Amino acid sequence: MTKWGYATNQWKAGFTGFARMEQQERALKVTAACGFDAIELTAGTGRWDPMGRPENIVKNFGSVDHFRLRLRDWGIRQVASLFFDPLQMSFEELHHGLDCTDRGQHEELLQQAGVFARFLAEMGSEVLVVRALPPHGRHGGLDADRQACAADCWNAVGAMTAALGVKTVLHLDALSPLRDADELAGWLERLNSATVGLCMDTAELTIAGHDVTAWYRRFHGRIWHIHLKDAVAIDTGDEYRAPNAERALLLAGGARRVQRWFGELDTGLVDWAALMGALRETGYAGWLIVESDKGPAPAAASMMQNAWTVRHVLQPLLDGQQRQGETR
Amino acid sequence: MNNVGTSLGGRNLRYAYMDHWRVDTAQGQVSQYSSVERFDAFLKQVAGVGFEAIETFDFHLGALRDLFGSLPAAREFMQSRGIDRVLSLFHAVMYDARQSTPHVRATHDHIVRYAEYIMKSSAGLGVQNFIVMPAGLYFDVEPVTDDKIRACAELWNRVGQMTLEGYGIKTCCHHEFFCGIRSAEQLQKFYDWTDPRYVFLCLDTAQHVIAGVDPVDLFVKLHDRCAAFHLKDTHNIDTNGDYRRKPDAEVMAPTTARWFYEIGTEGGLVDFPALYGAMKDVAWQGWVGVEHDKADVGGGNYPESTAIAAWTIRHQLRPIHD
Repeated sequence: MTKWGYATNQWKAGFTGFARMEQQERALKVTAACGFDAIELTAGTGRWDPMGRPENIVKNFGSVDHFRLRLRDWGIRQVASLFFDPLQMSFEELHHGLDCTDRGQHEELLQQAGVFARFLAEMGSEVLVVRALPPHGRHGGLDADRQACAADCWNAVGAMTAALGVKTVLHLDALSPLRDADELAGWLERLNSATVGLCMDTAELTIAGHDVTAWYRRFHGRIWHIHLKDAVAIDTGDEYRAPNAERALLLAGGARRVQRWFGELDTGLVDWAALMGALRETGYAGWLIVESDKGPAPAAASMMQNAWTVRHVLQPLLDGQQRQGETR
Repeated sequence: MNNVGTSLGGRNLRYAYMDHWRVDTAQGQVSQYSSVERFDAFLKQVAGVGFEAIETFDFHLGALRDLFGSLPAAREFMQSRGIDRVLSLFHAVMYDARQSTPHVRATHDHIVRYAEYIMKSSAGLGVQNFIVMPAGLYFDVEPVTDDKIRACAELWNRVGQMTLEGYGIKTCCHHEFFCGIRSAEQLQKFYDWTDPRYVFLCLDTAQHVIAGVDPVDLFVKLHDRCAAFHLKDTHNIDTNGDYRRKPDAEVMAPTTARWFYEIGTEGGLVDFPALYGAMKDVAWQGWVGVEHDKADVGGGNYPESTAIAAWTIRHQLRPIHD
């Protein structure tokens, strides 16, 4: 049976937003109302993020067990996974971002990843999703030393989480310095295939110019986790190379002033029939986490539409049905 | 299969969404009837949390024709998105003693003619209920006398016979808290004096609570007459006489910025579990309309309110009736 889940990253736009418990409750009830009973949390920082850190969960819910029970009350039966971007600052670990290509930061990064991995293990969750690499703009393309350094980092994290029963998967985004699939394949050879997998993000890869089905078919043996969202534009000008691409390209739209890169499922450039067919053929058994990342308010609108699309388009395709001709 | 996007319906009840929707756009809030694309997104969103029909106002009929060429084509489009029909049409009449107001008998012929025009012009959508406010605004009707209530009853008997025998559609009376027939006593008289074959109740839970009437008790008494629901909640009972305050009670009451909330709102006053228990006791079956009129007042939004209502039905109410 397909394991569907929904990410929570669409709700919290800034530090102090989406901080109140009643907002968390409504968000997860919206998720459950759409029929999703599993979620992917996002690692956060600061006291304003009740579900962003294990210690915040204890403060706000009483304990991890109480958190689990409260989720169940709200219709969420499982935390499937948690996304951790080590490049984000942390009030708790007192840093302004950790870089996996810098060996001097590995110990701290491993320690911080351990905080989330132990939480996931306690929750009975399966997957720690980590941002694989710093954006291209930070160092330019990754030379061999930095590639080796990053691989060592994730191999260490993968071993640590595997010992806890949690899988580590690397999330490659539209700004990744390893945009070329051959270069990525080379880097993957440095990673322990038993303890480190990939998270394929359909929109990020499409923005980076990939055919996601071809990408999936090439790497499917390493893909243990998938983020599903559509992409409405491609970075055709290689603007991911800009030093400030995270803001200038993704948030401000780059030279073309793209208003929105990510879209609701089946509203953009991803060939869902081809991808679902490939998942079916290969017997993909990991989580399918739907995202409304950076969607316009209200978040519920995007989620409800995605629920419809999963029900009427994606799941039938996964079940082997042909795509029906649409009305208008 | 998982539950993603599955129907809210259970063994006995199916759910319709009563539409007050607005879409946030770069041009501000607009109606979803402004484009096929927006209407499509609206349908997918309400179907995505399990609704199988919509309800709307009769003044949207023209927009549906404009968007799809005809009402049967509009229904076919809805069905392709999992929305079976427009279950109910809310009849938006400009009540005015010069032309149309139920307690003034001289206006009845005009009201009946207009209602029949709507019957004819809405064919093709699968409409089952014709929802009307059975009396004018309270301050236009008061003092509310027995004769005025009888005049209203006479009108809706005529309309109800026409809609049911001519078009197979039930006329259902929806008692806004600010309308001329609102108290328990007035309601009882109205339903005593209307023909049970032709005049039905649309139980709007929040409106009755605001008016100081227990909707569960009303359902128990009138369940044989109840053909439609508008389930919504409220945080306030009108204890200040806002219902009779000019110029408007619904959106301009100085005491209350927002009267209506979705099922599942914290602090809601409607006892929905008791209502579902009462519905189960009489084995009530059919369509249930869910509404959250003016969900955007004070910063809320329609999609989230819709999802919260759907969550509450799926997780708390449906098990009671099933």
